[in-house]
Amino acid sequence: MATITRKSVDVVIVGGGWAGSIMAKELTEAGQHVVMLERGGERSTASDGAYPGSLDELEGNFRFKIFQKLSKTTVTVRNNINQTALPYRQLAAFLPGEGVGGAGLHWSGVHLRMAPDDLTLRSTVISKYGKSFIPEGMNLQDYGVTYAELEPYFDKAEKVFGTSGEAYKVQGKIVGNGNAFAPDRSDDFPLPPLKDVTGAHLFRKAAAEAGYHPYSIPAANASRQYTNPYGAQMGPCNFCGYCSGYACYMYSKASPNVNILPALRKNPLFELRSNATVLHVTLDSTKSRATGVIYLDEKGDEIIQPAELVILAAFQFNNVHLMLVSGIGKPYDPVSNTGVVGRNFVYQNISTTTAWLDPSVYTSQFIGTGGGGVAFDDFNSENFDHGPQGFIGGSPVWVNQAGVKAIAAAKAGGPPGTPRWGSAWKSGMIDTYKHAVRMDAHGSNMAYRDVFLDLDPTWKDAFGRPLLRMTFDWKDNDIRMNRYVVSKIANVTKAMGARRTHLGMKEFGQPFDTRFYQTTHLGGGAVMGNDPQTSAINRYLQCWDVSNVFVIGSNAFPQGTGYNPTGMVAALAYWSAHHIRTTYLKNPGPLVPA
Amino acid sequence: MLSPPLSRRRFIQALSSATALTACTWLARSPKAAPQASAYTPTFFTPEEWRFLHAACDRLIPEDANGPGAVELGVPEFIDRQMATPYAHGALWYMQAPHVAGPANLGYQLPYTPRDIYRRGIAGARKLARQTHNAEFADLDADTRDSVLTVLETGDLQFDDLPASTFFGHLLGNTQEGAFSDPIHGGNKGLGGWAMTGFPGARADFMDWVDQYGRQYPLGSVSISGETI
Amino acid sequence: MMTNRKKIPVRNPVFQTLMLRKKTYLLAIPGAVFALSFAGSATAGDNASIAKRGEYLARASDCAACHTVSGHAQFSGGVPFALPFGTIFSSNITPDRDHGTGRYTEAQFGRAIREGVRADGSPLYPAMPYPSYARMTDADIHALYIYFTTAVTPSSEIPPVNTTAWPLSIRWPLRIWQAFFVPKSDQAKKSTERFPDDAVMARGAYLVEGPGHCGACHTPRAATLQEKSLTAQESPLFLSGGSAVDGWTPTSLRGENRTGLGRWSETDIVSFLRNGRVAHGSVFGGMSGAVGHGTQYLDDSDLHAIARFLKSLPAYDKDQIPWHYDASEAQALRNGDTSAPGARLYVDRCAACHRTDGAAYPTTFPPLAGNPVVMNPAPDSLIQIVLAGSTIPAMRASPSAFVMPGFGKTMTDEQIAEVVSFIRASWGNNTAPVSPTDVARLRKSLSTATPVTPTPLN
Repeated sequence: MATITRKSVDVVIVGGGWAGSIMAKELTEAGQHVVMLERGGERSTASDGAYPGSLDELEGNFRFKIFQKLSKTTVTVRNNINQTALPYRQLAAFLPGEGVGGAGLHWSGVHLRMAPDDLTLRSTVISKYGKSFIPEGMNLQDYGVTYAELEPYFDKAEKVFGTSGEAYKVQGKIVGNGNAFAPDRSDDFPLPPLKDVTGAHLFRKAAAEAGYHPYSIPAANASRQYTNPYGAQMGPCNFCGYCSGYACYMYSKASPNVNILPALRKNPLFELRSNATVLHVTLDSTKSRATGVIYLDEKGDEIIQPAELVILAAFQFNNVHLMLVSGIGKPYDPVSNTGVVGRNFVYQNISTTTAWLDPSVYTSQFIGTGGGGVAFDDFNSENFDHGPQGFIGGSPVWVNQAGVKAIAAAKAGGPPGTPRWGSAWKSGMIDTYKHAVRMDAHGSNMAYRDVFLDLDPTWKDAFGRPLLRMTFDWKDNDIRMNRYVVSKIANVTKAMGARRTHLGMKEFGQPFDTRFYQTTHLGGGAVMGNDPQTSAINRYLQCWDVSNVFVIGSNAFPQGTGYNPTGMVAALAYWSAHHIRTTYLKNPGPLVPA
Repeated sequence: MLSPPLSRRRFIQALSSATALTACTWLARSPKAAPQASAYTPTFFTPEEWRFLHAACDRLIPEDANGPGAVELGVPEFIDRQMATPYAHGALWYMQAPHVAGPANLGYQLPYTPRDIYRRGIAGARKLARQTHNAEFADLDADTRDSVLTVLETGDLQFDDLPASTFFGHLLGNTQEGAFSDPIHGGNKGLGGWAMTGFPGARADFMDWVDQYGRQYPLGSVSISGETI
Repeated sequence: MMTNRKKIPVRNPVFQTLMLRKKTYLLAIPGAVFALSFAGSATAGDNASIAKRGEYLARASDCAACHTVSGHAQFSGGVPFALPFGTIFSSNITPDRDHGTGRYTEAQFGRAIREGVRADGSPLYPAMPYPSYARMTDADIHALYIYFTTAVTPSSEIPPVNTTAWPLSIRWPLRIWQAFFVPKSDQAKKSTERFPDDAVMARGAYLVEGPGHCGACHTPRAATLQEKSLTAQESPLFLSGGSAVDGWTPTSLRGENRTGLGRWSETDIVSFLRNGRVAHGSVFGGMSGAVGHGTQYLDDSDLHAIARFLKSLPAYDKDQIPWHYDASEAQALRNGDTSAPGARLYVDRCAACHRTDGAAYPTTFPPLAGNPVVMNPAPDSLIQIVLAGSTIPAMRASPSAFVMPGFGKTMTDEQIAEVVSFIRASWGNNTAPVSPTDVARLRKSLSTATPVTPTPLN
């Protein structure tokens, strides 16, 4: 194991997912020599998504072929500050990725913009309900950037991703049957919406009958073949249902691998090094300037890679981890409520409701598309009056049938009360698989003073670094929100003519459980904002303390939203890249005075 | 990445029909007792463990009016073959010490790999059957096996530091995986698990069917290797 | 120091084409430009710009396809050509004075290209398409010469020795062949002057019949192996579809409605030669290299000239009933009726990308309905793609590559024959079925004919 110093480059990017690929594309366009370091190996449709060999549910969803290898590194989890956090030893509650493309290869494809009010949630709540409406211990914050500022970058990301959807308002004019609560757009979606599967079709009708405003979920699963602005081509989604956990064999789910890297790899200014695990960012003696990164290559050699600019574009908690182990920014201390790195760690608040339809109706749950479906936003964001409810946050409700395959159906079993095995399980499971519709309330999770990330005192990763420690639990505000929204779904399943409904609600006092999949939409921990006392990075995602380090990812979200994070992460990447290109590179230094 | 070489796969395909036939004949003859081991020779499980595995899987997914059971579907073979994979050696898990007990909701904290869990779990379950029914689990009738399995599933029983329910959870999970995964892994013989649930398998194209609302999908299943029903 | 060569897999021997079995390579030359710069004593600056154009020309003309082996020095030769009587290897054409063509004068260089005669006077095997190159202008030869002598790095690599046994290793009988079948350069050049009033057609004819040597693959050959026609002027057999090359059966580039370019527009042809993919179909086999190394580098006007010229060639087979889409099979499949032979296999293994209506999703996945390759009387290309799979490579203007897996390992000869016959019969294709024997024949040849393409990373 040698230590080797490589030639200095303009930009080093940590992580080969969406954020890293977007930054690499933008910065090579600006003439920068970019090296992208990815801890995992190369991945491609032809190898990881080969037809039909990759259509293997056991390998894809239960042996986690393209997910993070926990054997090397994981996190520890506890519900509160008085517990001993224990390692997250088996993938379950959340599923980070590994390898070129990152989570952008195994994701589903839901591609939403941020609701404008969610970007300014603290200001909005205070102006509508008064400051006292914010519960004690909730660290409610604004993002420091507005929807109007981000709109061009949401638009750009949709065109790169080949997003399918139906607009409601374009340049102030109502143009279609899209989400009536959605903000104005500068342009329509690049592709028309995907077709509805049976469950979504019935949900659309029933939701409208119940008085809600259903719309097609914008999906980065192409509704027809598409060529993006980089010349990269996609095939159309054929509803095969192998999205989440798979490299889409149809090239129809947007991924860095399909949508950006084909163009990027042709550029001699770009170099991708896979199997390169970044250990930490190196700082100069003033600790206010990064000199590059140190990483381990495939052979185990320690490589010093000097760079003028360091972009952290790893997964949300890996970005936070890298900041903590590198000494970038002041670590958060929940007792004194000071420090910023690790502060405002958030998750997503999801629960599933099931409706059983008449046995003559087959819902064919294996037919699916990761990002497609039908949603209504009547109880999301600030689309309804929170005053009488007494909680902050909201939740879209949707049928987002991503393709339920046979093992998943078996493990999901039958209606509540059905045994987990034996003949009764078999009947209940088969009936549910053939005739049920599943609906999610996919809600926001607020940030709290005692929910945070720091370094674990006991467990280490394979490289000798302390694991990241999550201190996380559900709070009453979020459970109240979930229960309120889910109660509204009863009106929909009634209109659907369901013979039986199980409303999936969060229960008060039930702790966060790491054993069951919920979602991989983790956020916060190194949040953006306009106040260096409560944010780790400024509105351009630049570190307050080390101005040649930018941190791109959902770590920037000051609190959770009802939406999936990828659309926002992509827009933030383009937004940050724009300001690096137009301002920072001309005059390196803080883009916002601290 | 875990698929066996082609020659082995073909060999197993050839065996599968024989296995299914044996199981069917046997079940017809003696529907109450545990089925015998299939023609497959296990490489991980001992003969006694192998008998246990059949007798247990047979109850977790019994053969009934809804379709074939776990034994007919080759689930024991699937589990045995899985025991040779990185998964069974714990390579997918974070296994660093210290292993500290904690609340259930913080997840699995034992030092045992799936191979260890089966070894300890089967020994414990067999011992339980001998203690409570004075017989090998595999020799018990169906109802009695169900009652023993229920104790494993829901009781607070510990096999040393391994909770019986942890073992049961693995056994049930793997049984379901074996019954419904692609037959390339050794289970789901004759695509019987997919026939039962209506899952089309590796065709993976529903362009014609996405908007035929409410209609039962009429085509049979196809596996990765091209086996069809 | 000489480098030891790695063993390079020899391609499939196909009898009909003997030593002429090679891919189609298109040499494109901005000839007019060279005509201007040829005269007079060239300065270093002139030479550099000529060499630069020569480089463009050599890349566009794909000299590399026959003279460069991946992993070896550029143009150092060694590409094997398997013949019934042994294997011959292409030569080192780098300017190395001892192992390459470094001692060639420009006249000798020109003679080799246009007449197939080496500096020592011995004849070259006609794997080198000099019967087509005979048309090349002096200016183009000059540019190539300047490029090869001043800009290509000399390499001392020595290609493996030909394994042809005596008496077939004797080259002199080739002279007799050449005397019969290689046009005299002056005569050949005359035929390029036949469109005095149409510069575009003249340019197109020159590129197609000359440097592009499209006919090497797309024109049928006689028993004596020469192309039955070297120009459109000579005979309507020109570009009417060639014999199998590496297991691929080149289609007609003439106006046949079903099996030729009858339904392709000029724009389709231009786009195909640039991107390797259009609504009618995508590149595979030898054409992948022809576009990949060659035509994608041509400028717009040259591509349009080629397209215009090709579109001027009337159908050789004049009796084809125009292809019309027939929706009956698609309707049956949409209703779940897979009773037609091969239909279930098609639904299980092909329809995901090529669609039950055969229209597929061009230009990502190519259509089977109405595709000239599918309706080619010779089913070899279609069978070989099903057996071995195919890759649409990334092009400069189309950075995405698409991979079709091969089904040779999971499908029997009977199954492949059934599904290929289904494809040839359906959607109005109405083309004769294929037999398991056809599949077995191609399966046998696959082991050596399948090119090792790197896995695309998108």
